Amino acid sequence: MGRYIAKRLLSLIPVLFGVSVIVFFLVRLIPGSALQMYMGTQVEATPEQMEELRRIFGEDRPVPVLYVEWLGRLLQGNFGYSLRTGRPVLPDIVSRLPLSLELTVLALFLALLIGIPQGILSSLRKNPFWDVVNRIVGLLGLSLPQFWLAALMVLAFSGFRGWIPMGNYAKFTEEPLRNLKMLLLPSLAIGIGLAAVIMRYTRNSMLEVLQADYIRTAKAKGLKKRVVILRHALKNAILPVITVAGFNTGYLLGGAIVIEEVFALPGMGRLALYAIYQRDYPVIQGIVLVIATLFVLVNLVTDLIYALVDPRIRLDDSSR
Amino acid sequence: METRALRKNSIALTGLAIVGFYVAAILLSLVWLPFDPVAMDTEHLLEGPSLATGHLFGTDEFGRDILSRIMKGASVSLVISICATALGAVVGVLMGIWAGYLGGRWDQFLMRIADILFSFPSLLLAIFVMAILGEKTYNVVFAIGIVYIPQFARVSRGAILTIKSSEFVRAARSNGASPRFILFRHLLPNILVPLIVQVSLSLSVAILLESSLSFLGLGVQPPYPSWGNMLSAGRKVMVIAPWTAVYPGLAIVFLVLGFNLLGDGLRDILDPRLKNAR
Amino acid sequence: MSDDIILEVQGLKTEFRAEYGLVKAVDGVSFELRRGETLGVVGESGSGKSVTNLSILRLVPSPPGRTAGGKVLFRAVAGGPEIDLLEAPEEEVRVLRGKSISMIFQDPLTSLNPVLRVSLQIGEALQLHHGLSRREARAKAVEMLRLIGIPDPERRADEYPHQFSGGMRQRVMIAMALSCSPDILIADEPTTALDVTIQAQILELIKSLAARDRTAVIMVTHDLGVVAGMCESVCVMYAGRIVEKALVDDLFYDPKHPYTRGLLDSIPRADRTGKDERLYSIPGSPPSLVGMPDACPFHPRCPRAMDICRKAYPPETRLEGLGPRTVSCWLHAKERA
Repeated sequence: MGRYIAKRLLSLIPVLFGVSVIVFFLVRLIPGSALQMYMGTQVEATPEQMEELRRIFGEDRPVPVLYVEWLGRLLQGNFGYSLRTGRPVLPDIVSRLPLSLELTVLALFLALLIGIPQGILSSLRKNPFWDVVNRIVGLLGLSLPQFWLAALMVLAFSGFRGWIPMGNYAKFTEEPLRNLKMLLLPSLAIGIGLAAVIMRYTRNSMLEVLQADYIRTAKAKGLKKRVVILRHALKNAILPVITVAGFNTGYLLGGAIVIEEVFALPGMGRLALYAIYQRDYPVIQGIVLVIATLFVLVNLVTDLIYALVDPRIRLDDSSR
Repeated sequence: METRALRKNSIALTGLAIVGFYVAAILLSLVWLPFDPVAMDTEHLLEGPSLATGHLFGTDEFGRDILSRIMKGASVSLVISICATALGAVVGVLMGIWAGYLGGRWDQFLMRIADILFSFPSLLLAIFVMAILGEKTYNVVFAIGIVYIPQFARVSRGAILTIKSSEFVRAARSNGASPRFILFRHLLPNILVPLIVQVSLSLSVAILLESSLSFLGLGVQPPYPSWGNMLSAGRKVMVIAPWTAVYPGLAIVFLVLGFNLLGDGLRDILDPRLKNAR
Repeated sequence: MSDDIILEVQGLKTEFRAEYGLVKAVDGVSFELRRGETLGVVGESGSGKSVTNLSILRLVPSPPGRTAGGKVLFRAVAGGPEIDLLEAPEEEVRVLRGKSISMIFQDPLTSLNPVLRVSLQIGEALQLHHGLSRREARAKAVEMLRLIGIPDPERRADEYPHQFSGGMRQRVMIAMALSCSPDILIADEPTTALDVTIQAQILELIKSLAARDRTAVIMVTHDLGVVAGMCESVCVMYAGRIVEKALVDDLFYDPKHPYTRGLLDSIPRADRTGKDERLYSIPGSPPSLVGMPDACPFHPRCPRAMDICRKAYPPETRLEGLGPRTVSCWLHAKERA
């Protein structure tokens, strides 16, 4: 198992490397150099000052060199400075990270909480009518735009204070209960789509597993129906669901951005949006890197959880 | 069983019907609209839906008829989605076929690129691309298209890999068939099925992506109506005029649902016949 | 029902609804099983032998399948009450499964749950039926593993099915089925999926364990060799019905039904078949079980078919023999014991 983890961690490196390359070079593609933008605010500068500015903005060196310098700084934790506020980028991102993460995690949790039991229940119903209803409901969940749901929530719950955060919100570390109450609806808006996907995957997986021979064996042993389903079937059926949930977490992250906008929550997504509106490139770079890295890490964790649950992968080294 | 086949087909047909309805509305909008979508009518600002005024879905904060804007927005959204999906499909499939067929170094290289693209959440990638290319309406096609490249690459590569090692290709080769012959007669038809399903589902996601981008102001720019930017504008006045937000959203939901039903139903119909790579 | 009999199947019928019609997989099967006896059920694929077993335990998958008639009488204790497993409420039957009547299946690879430890799979029946705690159940599981010949059972109990070889897995299945010392063990082609070399070991194991606890065994197989080695009585099935029932010695010495004779003749024998003689196989193939006419199902392939065979299904006739024997064949319909 340890070898498996190490192997997977190693394979991350080229991917992250590639991500950094793409981020760096793509941002450079943006028309209009940063120096010009900066100069836009200052009309005059002496040749010496220009010289200095050009050095600062890196226009005197070839791009690959700039990339290496940038990468070096990155690895030391220096993500540059915001063009707008002048503050260092990384601490700003890090301070907003918890909120976005909390939204994502809550959304994932809700999606699993709603999706898995529904999936199990619907796999047990024999009536074919429910079969169709289920599929349509599942597809409907996928069709709801998150921002629209969020807007509807604001509309519906505008009378109930405390359930809708609007710009302000209670930090988890300070007021956990109030925090959860306020973030519940936004997280729900983010997670509904995934809940629908999870429900369908769970259902399909359960249906397939319930046909297996070992379920027949379990029944032949006289085990109660609940035990058969929960202990024997579910543990097998949950495997593809884990994969799906993990790989769709990125979608949740993306959704968090939109939701943060609707509810005016000071998370990472909002920071990214405004950085984009204002062309604050260092911030954009920093956030994209952080999010991409998170995403890659989440995929890794998903793989690991899968290996943990499925003993066939975990114990691959024993071949008798 | 007869009823099972009917049920499978009915899902796809319902999806097709919904999509067809939208297409019809779009075609209609080319020749006739209830009102001019960009015409502002200061006398009828933020009016609710009523048959009397003819504004079936009400008006927005500039007095523009919402139904007409929705119909116009349909063509914008659909065109963008189709173009983006086509872009992603063409590039992605080429990549996938190349990687799958040639294997080895090419496979690794191309799939690495796909992996890297995959490592960005879709919306984020689209936002990022828009940030780079600039907030022009046509750039949305590129943004969404790029998101799709890895997905189509994966699907087509998977299909190629399965077929490549399957019995009938081996049989064809042992009969002396040339690679090109194999490609056309055996490989392509087998990619077709998962591709068709993927296209349909991609169209649905494309609409969601486009409307999300427009909602954030990074997609279709005003005054062109897009359901997304209609919603964004409507949000401000939503509390007193809910129809400005509700109807555009419903338009999105049903079209996306239509494509989802279509894709899902197609997968049901086509899948048992050709158990393909997944 | 006499005291000696532990299970009596009367007129069992099970059918499946398929796209193309109603499949009568089991069409009127009757037999008796005595305490401690090993009964063989022989037939080709599609003869209905597996479905018969599943029907006894009411494990037939219910949307396509349905037990349409008959009785399955089980008398757990000699002289005690008998219950009809087909009529009894599901809960009562569930309690009996694994505890009084156990089953082992053909493919040990797919019949064991890949994500659960072996000790759990063996022990859970014990926990359920005998109320053992988890630790006690595990200890018993280890004991059973040792009994069935798994080396280093203490360690291997915590392993997963994929870490065992095919033969070992089947042993685990057997351990699982016999863990609660059931009265009846139904073995559905337990050795078909295994190597020939392992087959003998597995059969020996079943035989010795069954003898130890006086467990009655229903051994379903298509291999007459297995029957010869293990069983006291045997039923021959064809197209969902039993065509001949006899003690093993009677059957092998003097098979009455042409199908049975055909089966016996098909066994290649080193002493009988000359070097240049062709191997015998019964011509034709088994019939489709949909829409069967009222006739002897074997008649198209029967070398001794008569006119009446096409017109009506032969009645079950009792015959002389070392033990009870019956045959359903028009050839013997006139003879009466």
